[in-house]
Amino acid sequence: MELVEKAIRDFRTFLADKPCKKIDLPVKPWPAGGPRNIVLGDDVGVELGNPQDTSLACLLWSSDIKAVNDGSITLVGPDLAESAGKSMPFGKVVLVGVEGFNEENIYERCMELDHLRYGIDLDGFMLRAISQHQREWCRISKAALKRGFASGHLAAVLMKMLKNIPYVRSAEIVFLTSSAADIKKLREIVNPVFRLIAAMDKMAGEMDFDCDTCEYDDVCDEAEGLREMRERAMKKAAQKEEQTRG
Amino acid sequence: MVNAKIIAVCGKGGVGKTSFSALMVKELSKRKGIKIMAIDADPAVGLATALGMQVTKTVDDIRKDIIKRISKGESKAGKDMSAQLDYEIFEALGQREGVALLAIGRPEDEGCFCKVNNLLKDIIRDLAAKFDVVIIDGEAGVEQINRRVMKKVDHLILVSDTSAKAVNVTAAIAHVAADNRAVDFQSMGLVINRVRNAAEVEDIKNRTKLNIFGWMPEDDMIRDYDFRGQPLTAMPETSAMFGVVSSIIKRMDIE
Repeated sequence: MELVEKAIRDFRTFLADKPCKKIDLPVKPWPAGGPRNIVLGDDVGVELGNPQDTSLACLLWSSDIKAVNDGSITLVGPDLAESAGKSMPFGKVVLVGVEGFNEENIYERCMELDHLRYGIDLDGFMLRAISQHQREWCRISKAALKRGFASGHLAAVLMKMLKNIPYVRSAEIVFLTSSAADIKKLREIVNPVFRLIAAMDKMAGEMDFDCDTCEYDDVCDEAEGLREMRERAMKKAAQKEEQTRG
Repeated sequence: MVNAKIIAVCGKGGVGKTSFSALMVKELSKRKGIKIMAIDADPAVGLATALGMQVTKTVDDIRKDIIKRISKGESKAGKDMSAQLDYEIFEALGQREGVALLAIGRPEDEGCFCKVNNLLKDIIRDLAAKFDVVIIDGEAGVEQINRRVMKKVDHLILVSDTSAKAVNVTAAIAHVAADNRAVDFQSMGLVINRVRNAAEVEDIKNRTKLNIFGWMPEDDMIRDYDFRGQPLTAMPETSAMFGVVSSIIKRMDIE
């Protein structure tokens, strides 16, 4: 979708001005946390994207596999060890080069990729997220930080999950901990993608098919394939209603 | 998964449920590395004061907010709604020194929002499983614990003072819990509060069929802290009450 491709281009332009650090995947994987993995206030070594702070997590996809720097992990801002005891703004952008995305499957696939994060299980790491607000809140325990937990460990597990999905052909992760202003700027860049996903959410919810009253009408004008998705959703709803009547 | 030990505390209003719950939380929190979840299921929300902790939001606030948003037409896939509630509940936790406090808030309004209510209960259950011990300070009736918090507990503690009325209430609660199966539990017993002498305990033993987990003497310090609205957890360690609660914990094999 051109709307998403444009967001990727804008994001690259935004990154070009920033001091980016390439992160190597850690040699040893971080151990899993298990059932009692929770990080309470006094145990927090570093906090990212606290609800009172700025945070943003987003997924950008492209059917151009090469538009994504496969395996690349980038950090803009300080890493966790440099920020012990602090609460920092947090941005996370996952870029994936995909194949076979179409109007039939795009929503389910976006959801599948988005929900991967809930499966992250790392000792001393805790994540809470609200997809609708694109917020992600992470806590790293003091003990994990002392044992050397770094953003690379988080990236490694997420990268592995992405690579296990057959339609993901390339994957890249960018973390931002630099400043709230950077995260806000990033939000502006990726906002059209959020609105696209919100429009798909609404269609999936089958709540309202009236374009005149829909707040995402402009997104449908801009994103190719979205109108077709809407028509398909309408047909599905009509069939369901007919079945109920019948 | 290793389950958390879940303790629900019930009893007639005013018998000292919240004080006992707070003292248990304080006493257990002395054990190194132990994580405790305290759930204030009493609409009066007194546990926060007794623990000297603050809650900015209750589960009911979250519930109302999400119902309002759904009513306005905001749609959400099941997983996303669950993740959002989980985020908001974690944000609502008061947290201090290995203790997390969750306040349930006032009982639900009229109307059926089963999906939201069930999701909230599932989230509380899953969150509770991440702790070593969960202490639920409940209302008088166990059915409220089931409806608003969780169905399954390990220990059901019925608190009573020495009054006949309060002891009778514990018998009624025990009946609802055991015979009507209002909650699933492994053990149920009585803690008698504000005891003036051992003879009172002996007398109650003769009047109840309940197993007696222990008894607490009438304590001027608790009365004084309650009167001044000070957290019971700030009472000096030398207070005899901590020793009493500690022995109850040992007897119940909670550690």
